[in-house]
Amino acid sequence: MLSTSQFEKRLRFAGICLAVGLLIEALCLMWATPIAFIVFVAMGGLLIAVGLAVYLYSVVSTSVAGD
Amino acid sequence: MPSATILIVCLVLFSAAVIGVLAARPGFTAGRGGKILAFVAMFCLPVFCGLLGFSSEMQRSKTTAFCLSCHTMGDYGKSLLVDDPTHLPASHYQNHRVPVDQACYSCHTQYAMFGGLKVKAYGLKHVFIYYLGTPPAPQDIKLYEPYNNRECLHCHLGARSFEEGVVHNADPATLPAIKSNQLSCLSSGCHDTAHDIAHLKGAKFWEKGS
Repeated sequence: MLSTSQFEKRLRFAGICLAVGLLIEALCLMWATPIAFIVFVAMGGLLIAVGLAVYLYSVVSTSVAGD
Repeated sequence: MPSATILIVCLVLFSAAVIGVLAARPGFTAGRGGKILAFVAMFCLPVFCGLLGFSSEMQRSKTTAFCLSCHTMGDYGKSLLVDDPTHLPASHYQNHRVPVDQACYSCHTQYAMFGGLKVKAYGLKHVFIYYLGTPPAPQDIKLYEPYNNRECLHCHLGARSFEEGVVHNADPATLPAIKSNQLSCLSSGCHDTAHDIAHLKGAKFWEKGS
């Protein structure tokens, strides 16, 4: 069974990944150079993808544990 | 910065702030309302912001300024201002036959299925070579494949100047050969002066364009 603190830990980790990823994307949108495009996709996109995956996993694992 | 980009940046920062609050206080997500808020903030908003941002970056990567921001492309940018109507890119740029702010992309994309994605993949490769490899000298840069008439015909097909042009109709076989890409627009002694950066030093430039 998934404890609340474990769920909160995952949620916090997902939130940090998403927030950092979004901040990187905001910076890249303001920084109009070709390298910004690479950073946008490679770093921002990766962090957001990881954040989304961890968030969805934490939600699904909580639901399974609650059944 | 365009106002659309400013709006996207504001939305992205707002999303990051909401997510930051949820990450700092995960207890907010305990109730039903909190769970809905968490789903919107941590799934819907990042996906939406990511797609909006990606679309904005893709649009920006099509601009002439973006292509010319690499030092290697400097001479190609100058060649757009050559004061000579036989220079194909210059005459297209100066007479607005292509959108001035997307001059490079308009001619160097591929008007075929996934053509835009293919040329963007080439562009990513160029950026990697520019920053991590050894970029070739400007005069040594070559196209990946011979220039396809399809790119010219995307605009010129059906145009009166093309369909009824004297040279195009001097031989009845010419027009079908052009349309089927058997006779290249560029390399058949017709419109064969492209960027010609090897002779740029002695060229005369259109001053108003700069």
